[in-house]
Amino acid sequence: MVSRKRYWAWIFLSLPLALYGLIVVGPTLYSFYFSLTDSNLLSKTHNFVGLANFRALSKDSDFWEALRNTAIWTFVGVIVSLVLGFILALGLSKTRLWSRAIKSILFLPLALSLVVVGFIWFWIYRYDFGLINLLLRAVGKDSLTKDWLADPSTALISVIVAWAWQQISLSMIIFLAGLTAVPADLMEAAQMDGAKPRTQIRHVVIPSLAPAISVVISLALINALKTFDIVFVMTQGGPFGKTRTLAVLSYREAFRSYNFGYSSAIAVTLFILTVIIIGSFMYLTKRAGANDD
Amino acid sequence: MTSTKYAAYKKSKYPFGIFMLIVAILYLIPALGVFLTSFRTDTEISLHGIWAVSGHLTLDNYLAVWSSSSTRIYMRNSFLVAIPATVISVILGTLTGYVLAKLKPRGTSFLTLFFVSGLFIPPQILLIPLFQLFNKVHLYDTLWPMIIVHSGYGISLCTLVMKNFFKNVPDELIEAALVDGASEPGILAKIVIPLSRPALGALATLQFTFIWNDFLYPLILARSESAQTVMVGILNMAGQYSTAYGAQAALSIVASLPTIVVFFLFQKQFIAGLTTGAVKG
Repeated sequence: MVSRKRYWAWIFLSLPLALYGLIVVGPTLYSFYFSLTDSNLLSKTHNFVGLANFRALSKDSDFWEALRNTAIWTFVGVIVSLVLGFILALGLSKTRLWSRAIKSILFLPLALSLVVVGFIWFWIYRYDFGLINLLLRAVGKDSLTKDWLADPSTALISVIVAWAWQQISLSMIIFLAGLTAVPADLMEAAQMDGAKPRTQIRHVVIPSLAPAISVVISLALINALKTFDIVFVMTQGGPFGKTRTLAVLSYREAFRSYNFGYSSAIAVTLFILTVIIIGSFMYLTKRAGANDD
Repeated sequence: MTSTKYAAYKKSKYPFGIFMLIVAILYLIPALGVFLTSFRTDTEISLHGIWAVSGHLTLDNYLAVWSSSSTRIYMRNSFLVAIPATVISVILGTLTGYVLAKLKPRGTSFLTLFFVSGLFIPPQILLIPLFQLFNKVHLYDTLWPMIIVHSGYGISLCTLVMKNFFKNVPDELIEAALVDGASEPGILAKIVIPLSRPALGALATLQFTFIWNDFLYPLILARSESAQTVMVGILNMAGQYSTAYGAQAALSIVASLPTIVVFFLFQKQFIAGLTTGAVKG
């Protein structure tokens, strides 16, 4: 009986393995190889150039700018998802009246494409008819109005806010699921003991939310690191590269400049960064979890 | 003391519900812009913007979008990609998840890591090789690359969700069937899959939404209108007529309708899919 099971396991796995290998594993390995060549769209052949692309990257100010933007995005993305996602989820968990309708509204951004999210926020940030400037003018603060997406000092944070609008909905859902898993008797006991809401949150809610917190952080990390769509739609990486992330830079090198080797080096760098960041985060949470037990 | 506090908390729930409703409506205000734009003419927009309360509304943008042959091609393409890719990725994820949760061949923990780690691969690293692969096999600029890529890339999430679900299916059920002489595919088809309908529904909802909303792969793997999905179509429209805000907003709304409908119809499944994929992972 046992041997029959093994036999079937590999039959069941054959198709998924083949397709996953073709679409995910193979291309990833191939990109590693590409990053060591001078491949481009036009030349039929390419030469092995060792680490030349990576050396060039280290001297490329566009790369450092993109790395900085990606880092800011990731940092802000994680903090905002955690804090606002948690506060809104806590609010939702206490809501009885119209809770279904309220949830539907707050989760709706998740049904939208980042392309549409970009268009949505375009009408908030525009200079002439944008909502922010309209409100500023209404309260007489005309001097503060600006073209939020074209101004180098506000472009990046503006796009991050638009992106976070959807990301917060995601972390809200995960926190809400985590909150409903907080043992009710524990909460009741804390309430009976007269624990203040703040104490309840600190000593009962947050410890039992640990798994949800780690999921929210990892999702925010991965989504922020690979950010592409919304930048492409809203600013194309501009003004002056102020919103260009590593993913956008890699796309531009590949499909605008057709430097496949150089673009692959950027993509590989992004991949390694992601593996290091997510990997060390998972390692740390695992260790923290082991200490708790 | 405690009981009065509890009573106060109970009493406070009505104002609190109203407070949360206001928060939710404020949260949705950004989306209102696109909605308003879609009902205004471009002249009106260039005169008064979109947030003005006055002015008359029009359905012209929707009529224009609806009667445009491009829109129909884009929408049809999006369905032709999203439906098969959803079905294939869910089937393959079910197979993998079942093997990893129940059949557990040698190397299960490695295989789990192998499949699930795809969730953490930035798609950018796949683009050039995939672009070259589909060029080489002459499928570039058709719908096939998108169907194949989404089916393969989706295996990671589908495996994770289904593995987490199958973990909770009692082994006794499967063993009893084995004793009765059922075959492995028979057990999967007749016992396990019927039990998994809720999980499959949740996963399909999620996958459909992700694939429908994707922008990166159609951008890379197709060029002509006949092979473009609607999310890239919205952008093409911006390129064609730079001031067609009204029509573009209307197309954004039309393009979002399928996922919004799926979201409202299957909200429970949608949330269940996200949380079983995430929280227990």
